[in-house]
Amino acid sequence: MPVKSPLHDLHKEFGARFTEFAGFEMPIQYTSIKDEHLTVRKSVGIFDVSHMSNVWITGDGAEDLISLTTVEDASKIPDGKSQYTAILRENGTVIDDTIFMHLGDKFMMIPNAGMADIVTNWLNEKAAEHNICANVENVSNEYVILAIQGPKSRDTLQKLTKTDLKNIGFFSCQYIKIADTDCIISHTGYTGELGFELQITPTTAAEKVFRKILEAGKEFGIKPIGLGARDTLRLEKGFILAGNEFEGGRTPLEAIMSWTINWDHDFIGKDALLKQKEKGDYERLTSIVFTEKGIPRHGCEIQKDGKKVGMVTSGTLSPCLNIGIAMGYVKPDFREQNNTLDVIVRNKPFKAKVVKPPFVPKDWAQN
Amino acid sequence: MSSDVRNDLKYTDDHEWLKVENKNAKVGITDHAQSELTDIVFVELPEIGKTVKKGDELCVVESVKSVSEIYAPVGGKVVGVNKKLEDEPEQINNSPYDDGWLVEIEIENKSEIDELLDADSYKKMI
Repeated sequence: MPVKSPLHDLHKEFGARFTEFAGFEMPIQYTSIKDEHLTVRKSVGIFDVSHMSNVWITGDGAEDLISLTTVEDASKIPDGKSQYTAILRENGTVIDDTIFMHLGDKFMMIPNAGMADIVTNWLNEKAAEHNICANVENVSNEYVILAIQGPKSRDTLQKLTKTDLKNIGFFSCQYIKIADTDCIISHTGYTGELGFELQITPTTAAEKVFRKILEAGKEFGIKPIGLGARDTLRLEKGFILAGNEFEGGRTPLEAIMSWTINWDHDFIGKDALLKQKEKGDYERLTSIVFTEKGIPRHGCEIQKDGKKVGMVTSGTLSPCLNIGIAMGYVKPDFREQNNTLDVIVRNKPFKAKVVKPPFVPKDWAQN
Repeated sequence: MSSDVRNDLKYTDDHEWLKVENKNAKVGITDHAQSELTDIVFVELPEIGKTVKKGDELCVVESVKSVSEIYAPVGGKVVGVNKKLEDEPEQINNSPYDDGWLVEIEIENKSEIDELLDADSYKKMI
């Protein structure tokens, strides 16, 4: 039986259709994916993303444990900052990508849906192996996570708090009262728009916050947004989705996450990455747009002159651009910008070319 | 929200409709089907002249997230396709029984029509 969000009945009330994702039954859409997608690009939307995990990392060695188990040197991340990073196996492949928030003397990590136990166990194991004094606790069931995303997200939330949200910079986090409810706020998101994410505990407090945000955003035309639009919004920005882009075991070098790696510290998987870097000959995640009508999908083969050179990991019709867009792993010689490729959909080749992400530029709706 | 089911059409349990006009029949997807799929954004139509057996894949209709195969409700030869849908696939959402028709088939064996559902039976099904 899939796990339901604590806000399940609320979603039903708003007409959600549900889908199962990583063991959770979550709204896939309320009105339509396209409508919800454009609402976030142009104004503001609210997402329940409680399928994501919450893990507390505490103890004197919390910082050391994060530095050991992620590609980030946590000592470089000051109190009040959020950081996007990756947890690797010894062989350099990604277990999960995640954000951790530095909140006073502890850290909250947000692994992907269904990854809470895997990440918690991995971190605890590594703490024991390396004699690090840290405690890692899966508290996913105690939290509702709401994402408020879109150019009007700050104006919406500002009505519900005395804290000046302009002072919370990009990738900053702190404790805050929103709608008279204690939350953790992080200026982060998965849509490429201005946005915030709220961690709310106990979960029974979340319904009120959700309703208050809808009320506050009414003048901007706020809507609840499902996982369907969440996926198309992230894909238009070239953001990876763990389940798709790490499938089969991929390293951060292959997944174009080298920018997240802090090479100046030791971490699990570093040796493997250095070896791969030196060798150089590996597939890399590549952004592709169709130059004819059609929609690339997960699992479609990518060809050059009839020969397989890669595979699509995520694909959709871009609701903003109205063209097919995809990400996929492509062999090094074929991923130069503007290189033409074919993507095979239902046994037929569709013309495509390599582009530089994001597919949809920043502030698209304003231009 | 109840869906529109028209009395002059025949239906399949895969939510296609068939409108018989002499020896030809137009095929589309029902109002119920389009509302379940939501935003249709791409349609792949068959070649004119293609022959299909009842139950063969006739065309493909895609929403943002899903790919749905549409099966031939009856066998025959494809004699027309709604080319307009290639530029305006949303016509299937806006007008599933009229402007949103998909394919016209020259029916090979009229007795296959009798195997389809009438409006009342289809209404009960959805």
